[in-house]
Amino acid sequence: MAAVSQLQRQFIEYATSLYNEGYLDDQFTQLQKLQDESNPDFVVEVVSLFFEDSEKLLNNLATALQQKIVDYKQVDSHVHQFKGSSSSIGAQRVTTVCVHFRNYCDEQNLDGCLRCLQQLNHEYILVRNKLEALFRLEQQILQAGGSIPMME
Amino acid sequence: MITPVAMASFVRRMLDRISASVSSSGRNHLPTRLRRSRSDVNQDEFRCYSVFVARVAIMVMLAVLIGLLTLLTWHFTKVYTRASLNSLAYGLRYELLQRPLLRMWKILNSTVEITTSQVRLSEYVIRKYGKGENQAQQVELYEVMRDVTWALFSSRKALNSMSIKYRNGFVQAFHRDLRDKNTYYIYSNLYNYTMVEPYSMNRSSTHQGWNDQMIHGNVSAIWYREPLDPDTGRKTGKQKEIPPDELINIAGISQVPDGAASWHVSVSKFTSSPLLSAALPVWDEDRGSIVAVVGVTTALYSVGQLMKELVDLHGGHIYLTSQKGWLLATSSSTPLLRNSSDGYTLTMAEDSQDGIIRSAAKWLNKTNHNKLPLNHEVHSATATLGGERYYIDSFFLNLTRLPMVGVLCIPRKNIMGKVDAREIKTLIILISASVGILVVGCICIFILTNGVSKEMKLRAQLISHLDARRKAEASSNFKSQFLANMSHELRTPMAAVIGLLDILLSDDSLTNEQYATISQIRRCSTALLRLLNNILDISKVESGKLVLEEAEYNLGKELEGLVDMFSVQCKNRNVEAIIDLSDDMPKVVRGDSGRVVQIFANLISNSIKFTTSGYIVLRGWCENLNSFSNNENFFVDHKALWSAYQKKIKRKTCKSDNIMILFFEVEDTGCGIDPSKWESVFESFEQADPSTTRLHGGTGLGLCIVRTLVNKMGGEIRVVKKNGSGTLMQLYLLISTPADIPKESYRLKFAEHNLKVVLALNGRMSGSILSRWLHKLGVHIWEANDWNQLTHVLQELFKPTSYAQSLTYERSETESLRTEGVKMTIFVIVIDIGMLNISTDIWKEQLNFLDAFNTRAKFAWILNHDTSNTIKIELRRRGHSLMVNGPLYKTKMIQIIEAVIKESSLEQSKKYIDAHECLQTNAKSSDGSEITETTSTGSSQNEETNQENFQVYGVVSNCFPELTEGRSEWGRLTNFPNDSSNCEQGIHQADQKVKNGKKALTGLHILLAEDTPILQKVATMMLVQMGAKVVVVGDGVQAVEALNIQKEVENVEKSCEPRPFDLILMDCQMPKMDGYEATKAIRRAEMESESHIPIVALTAHAMSSDEAKCLEVGMDAYLTKPIDCKLMASTILSLTKCRT
Repeated sequence: MAAVSQLQRQFIEYATSLYNEGYLDDQFTQLQKLQDESNPDFVVEVVSLFFEDSEKLLNNLATALQQKIVDYKQVDSHVHQFKGSSSSIGAQRVTTVCVHFRNYCDEQNLDGCLRCLQQLNHEYILVRNKLEALFRLEQQILQAGGSIPMME
Repeated sequence: MITPVAMASFVRRMLDRISASVSSSGRNHLPTRLRRSRSDVNQDEFRCYSVFVARVAIMVMLAVLIGLLTLLTWHFTKVYTRASLNSLAYGLRYELLQRPLLRMWKILNSTVEITTSQVRLSEYVIRKYGKGENQAQQVELYEVMRDVTWALFSSRKALNSMSIKYRNGFVQAFHRDLRDKNTYYIYSNLYNYTMVEPYSMNRSSTHQGWNDQMIHGNVSAIWYREPLDPDTGRKTGKQKEIPPDELINIAGISQVPDGAASWHVSVSKFTSSPLLSAALPVWDEDRGSIVAVVGVTTALYSVGQLMKELVDLHGGHIYLTSQKGWLLATSSSTPLLRNSSDGYTLTMAEDSQDGIIRSAAKWLNKTNHNKLPLNHEVHSATATLGGERYYIDSFFLNLTRLPMVGVLCIPRKNIMGKVDAREIKTLIILISASVGILVVGCICIFILTNGVSKEMKLRAQLISHLDARRKAEASSNFKSQFLANMSHELRTPMAAVIGLLDILLSDDSLTNEQYATISQIRRCSTALLRLLNNILDISKVESGKLVLEEAEYNLGKELEGLVDMFSVQCKNRNVEAIIDLSDDMPKVVRGDSGRVVQIFANLISNSIKFTTSGYIVLRGWCENLNSFSNNENFFVDHKALWSAYQKKIKRKTCKSDNIMILFFEVEDTGCGIDPSKWESVFESFEQADPSTTRLHGGTGLGLCIVRTLVNKMGGEIRVVKKNGSGTLMQLYLLISTPADIPKESYRLKFAEHNLKVVLALNGRMSGSILSRWLHKLGVHIWEANDWNQLTHVLQELFKPTSYAQSLTYERSETESLRTEGVKMTIFVIVIDIGMLNISTDIWKEQLNFLDAFNTRAKFAWILNHDTSNTIKIELRRRGHSLMVNGPLYKTKMIQIIEAVIKESSLEQSKKYIDAHECLQTNAKSSDGSEITETTSTGSSQNEETNQENFQVYGVVSNCFPELTEGRSEWGRLTNFPNDSSNCEQGIHQADQKVKNGKKALTGLHILLAEDTPILQKVATMMLVQMGAKVVVVGDGVQAVEALNIQKEVENVEKSCEPRPFDLILMDCQMPKMDGYEATKAIRRAEMESESHIPIVALTAHAMSSDEAKCLEVGMDAYLTKPIDCKLMASTILSLTKCRT
C-alpha cells in the first residue's frame, strides 16, 4: 500500500505541476469529474480523440500554410476547431497559442502564422507528453490496486 | 493713358513696400518665439507668411480695383467734357474768325459798291456834261462831279478817300484824315492839263498816258487842299497848296490796266492801318475809252477794331493777312506798317511786332512747310506759342484779286483753362481719395486679417486643447479599460493568497505568534482585495463595461443572506443587524443580483464601520409604479423617475414584466454625516470626515460605486435627515418582476393556528420589529429583553394557568382525532442564545429552568456564530431540536413557526399511529441551511459539519425547497411506517437526490450538434451525468434531418418514443451546414407548426457580437467553449422550464 500511496502522491504532484505550469486548467478537472464507474476510460478516450484530431488539424494547417496562396479562411477555421477542442480538454497553453494564431490569421500575417504553427506543434507535443505521462501514472496506480485520487 | 498705368504701377510698388515692411516686422517678432520648439516656430513662420501673402494679395487687389475705378471715372468725365467743349470751342472760334472776315467782306463790298456807284454817277455826269467843250462846261462838270462825289463820300463814313482822276490829269479827291478828324478836298489845278489831250488819245495809247509817274512826276501840277465841314461839305478853311508828298493815293489808270475793277492794299502816311483801295475805270458812252478812273480807299481800321473788341471778350489774337503773308489787320495795337526808308510799308506777319502773331505766323508756316500761299485751313489746339498753348485756326477767304487768310489764336487756357484746371483738380482729388481709401482699406484689411488670424490661432489652440483633452480622456479610458481587463489577473492571485492563508491558518502546528501574524496577513489581504474590487468596480463603471445582468433571483433571500453575513461582524461590535422587508415585496425579481447585493453590502458595511453601538436596519418596501402616489415622507424626483421608468419599459423585451419601485432605507446609529457632506459622500475618494480615515479606514469608493449602481438601475440614493444620531440613507430602485409569480399566502396559515410566541431577543430593535409584524399576522406575542424578563413572562404565561394549559393539552392529546388539533394552542418560545449566561455555568441552570416548559412549548434557539459546540450538544440533549442561526428575521421566523406547526401536527399523528420515529430531516444540503432540525439520534457529526460550513459564510441558498422536499419524503415515510424497506428506499432516494444535486436535467431529451469528436464526447458526458438523454449529430444538416425524422415519427405514432427533443445544443462552426444556417432552417420549418424548440449556441467565439449574431438567427441562448457544466445546466433548465 505504501507504493500505491507513493504513486498517488506522485500523481497528485505531477497533476498539480501541470495545473501550475498552465498546461491544463479547470476544464480538465471537469473532464475528470465526468469520469465515473460507467465510463472508466472517459478521460483517456477524450484525450486520445483530441490527439487524433490535433494531429490531423496540424497536418492540415501545415499544408494549408505551405500553399502559394494561403487561404486564411480555411486556416482560421482549422485553428478555430483546434481552439475549441483544446479548450474542451483544458489544454490551456494550446488554446492560448490558438488565440494568437487567429489574430495573425486576421491580420493575414504569414510569418506570424508559421511561427504560431511551430509553437502550436511544440505546445501540442508537450501537452501530449505530459498527458501521456499522467495516464501512465494513472495506469500504474490502477495496476497497483489503488484508486485515482481526485484533484480538488 | 500713360498716367494711370504709371499710377497703378506706383501703387503696386507702394503696396509691395508695405507688405515687405509688414512681413519684415512680422519676422522681427520671430526671434522671441524662437525660444519655443523648432517645429512651433516653423509653423508660426509659415502661418505668418501665409497670412502676409493673403494680406498683400487682398491689398493689391483692392489697390488695382480702386485705381481702375479712379482712372475710369477720371477718363470718362474728362473725355466727354473735353469732346463737348472742343466742339463748342471750335464753333466759337469759327464764329470769332468769321465775324471779322464778314466785316472785311462787308467793307470790301461797300467799297466796291461805292466805287461802282461813283462810276455810274461819273459816267452819267460825264455823259451829260462831257460834251461841253469849253472851260465853263468843264468847270461845271467838275463842280457836279465834286458834289456827286461828296454826296457819296459823306454817306460813307468809313471811306478814307475817294478820288477821281480824269483823263486830262485833273484830280478830284476827298480825304478824311482819321488822325485829326478833318475832311479835306484835294484837287489839282487845271493849268497843266489840256482838255483835249485825253480825247485825242486813242485807245491804244491811253495806257501810256495814264501813269502815276505822270502824276507824281508832274511836279508842275499844283495840289490844293481845302478843309471841309465833315457834315455839310462846305469849305471851312482856305485852300492850301500842299506838297506832293502830302498827297493821298490817287488811283490812276495804271491801277485798272485791263479796264476792270481792281483791288489792292496800300498804305498811306495818314493812317497807321493799311488801306484797301479799289479802282474802277469810267468808260465813255461807247465804252471805247476810259474817261476817268475812280478810286476809293477804305481803312481796314474798323476791322482791326472789331477784332480787338472780339478779342477783348475772348482773349487771344486775330489777324488777317494777305495771301502773301502781309498783315492786314490784327487785334493787337501794334502798328501794322513799318517805317522803312521808302515810307510806310506793310509788314509781313512773321515780322510783326506782336510776339504772338509773329510766332503764330511762324508756326503756321512751319505746319505748311513754308509753302506759300496758305490756301487751306488749319485747326490746331496744341500749338505752343511763346511758352503757352494756343488754339490756332486759319481760314482762307478767297476774294478775287485779294485772297485773304484769317488766323485766330486763342490761348488754350481761355477756353479750356478751367476745364484743364478742373481736370487736374479732379484727378488730384480722385487720386488722393483713392489713395485715402486704399490706405484705409489696407488698414481695415490689416486689422481684419489680424483679428481673423488671431481668431484662427485661438481656434487652433482650442482645437489642440480639445485634442489634448480627448487624448487625456482616452488615456483615462484606457486606464479604466486596462484596470477592468486586469481585474481577473489581479483578483486571482489575491484569492490564491487568501486561500493559502486559510489553509495555513487551519494548520494546527502553528505557534500562537505565527497564527497571529498569519491572521493579520489574512486581514490585510482581505482588505487589499476589497480595495482592489472597489477600484476595479469603479474602473469598470468608468470604462462603461459594467453591464447589468438580467436574471431572476430571490431578492429577499439575497438581502437576508447579506444580513446574515454582516451579522457576524455586527455581533462582534455589539451592533444589531436587522432586516425588515415588508410582506408585499416581490419574492422573485429580475435584475443583477450581484450588483444589488453589492449596493447593500457597501451601505451596510459603511454603516457598520461608523456604528459602535445600537443597530443597523435595512428596511425595504415596494410600490407599484402604476399605483404609486406621492409619498410625502420619501424623496422621489418624479420626473426623473418617470423618465427612468419609460426607459426601462422601452428596454424591456419581456412584456409580462411588472416594473416596481423598491424603496430601501439603511439606518444606523453611528456618528452620522454632516448635512453639508450629504451630497459629496457619493463622490469618489470622498469621506465625510477625512480624519476618520485613520480611524475607520476605507478609500471612500464604496458610496460612489453604490450611487453609480443605483443610478444604473434607474434609482436614486441620498442621505436623509434622521431623528437622533446616525445616518439614514434612502434609495429606490426600479426593478422588474416576472408577472406570474404567485404571492405568498402564509398569513392564512398562521392565523388558523392558535399561535402564541414568546420572543426573547437581545436586540431591542429587531425584537420590536418582529413582534409588531407577528402581531399584525394575528399571533400573540410576548416580548422579553433579558433573562429576568423572560422568566417573568414565562411564569406569567404558564404558572397561573398551568392547570388549564395542561388540561387543554391533555384533552387535545386524547381527543386529537376529533378535534383535529386545530384549536390547539401552540407555544413557541424563541430564545436568543445570548440570554444564557455563558461565561459562567449558570446557563445550565437556566436551561434547567426552561426545561420545565419544554413539554408545553416549543423552543427555538437563536444561535450565534460563535456558540460553542458544548452548548449546542447540551441543547440537543435536552430535546431542543429547533436551532436557528442569528440574526432572526421574518423568513427565519416563518420557518420556525412552520416547523413548529409541522412538528406539533406530527406529534399528534405520532400519537395516533404510535410511531416514535425520530424526526429526521437531514438538511444535508450541499450549500448549507439555516435551519438545522435534528433529532438526538441523527447523524450529529454530519450535521455539525454543515453548521460549520454555514458559520464560516452565511451564503444564502435555496434550502427551503430542499427542506420541504425532505419533508415530503418524510411524509411518505410516515404514511407507510411499517414498510421499512420502502422507508429505506425512500431515504436512499432522497439521499441520492440530495447528493446528486446535479441531476437536474433528468428526463430531458437533448440534441447535440457538434462536429469535434472531443467536444461531442465531453458535452455528451456532461449531459448524461446530469440525467439527460442525448442524441449526437455531426453537423447542421444532420441536425435538421434529425428533427425532421423525429417529426415524422411523431406524426405517425404520437405517443411512442422517441419523444421530441426538448432542446438543441448547436455548435456554431460545423462543416456542411453551420450552426447559424441550421438554426435558420429549423426556425423556418417551425414557422408552419408554430412550435419552438430552444436552441443553445455553443461557440468558441467569445465576443458579444457573436452572441448578437446567435440571437439574431433565432437561437435562445449562448454558451462559450469550454463548456461550464453549471452554466450549461442552468441555461438548459431555464429554457426548458420556460417551455413547461
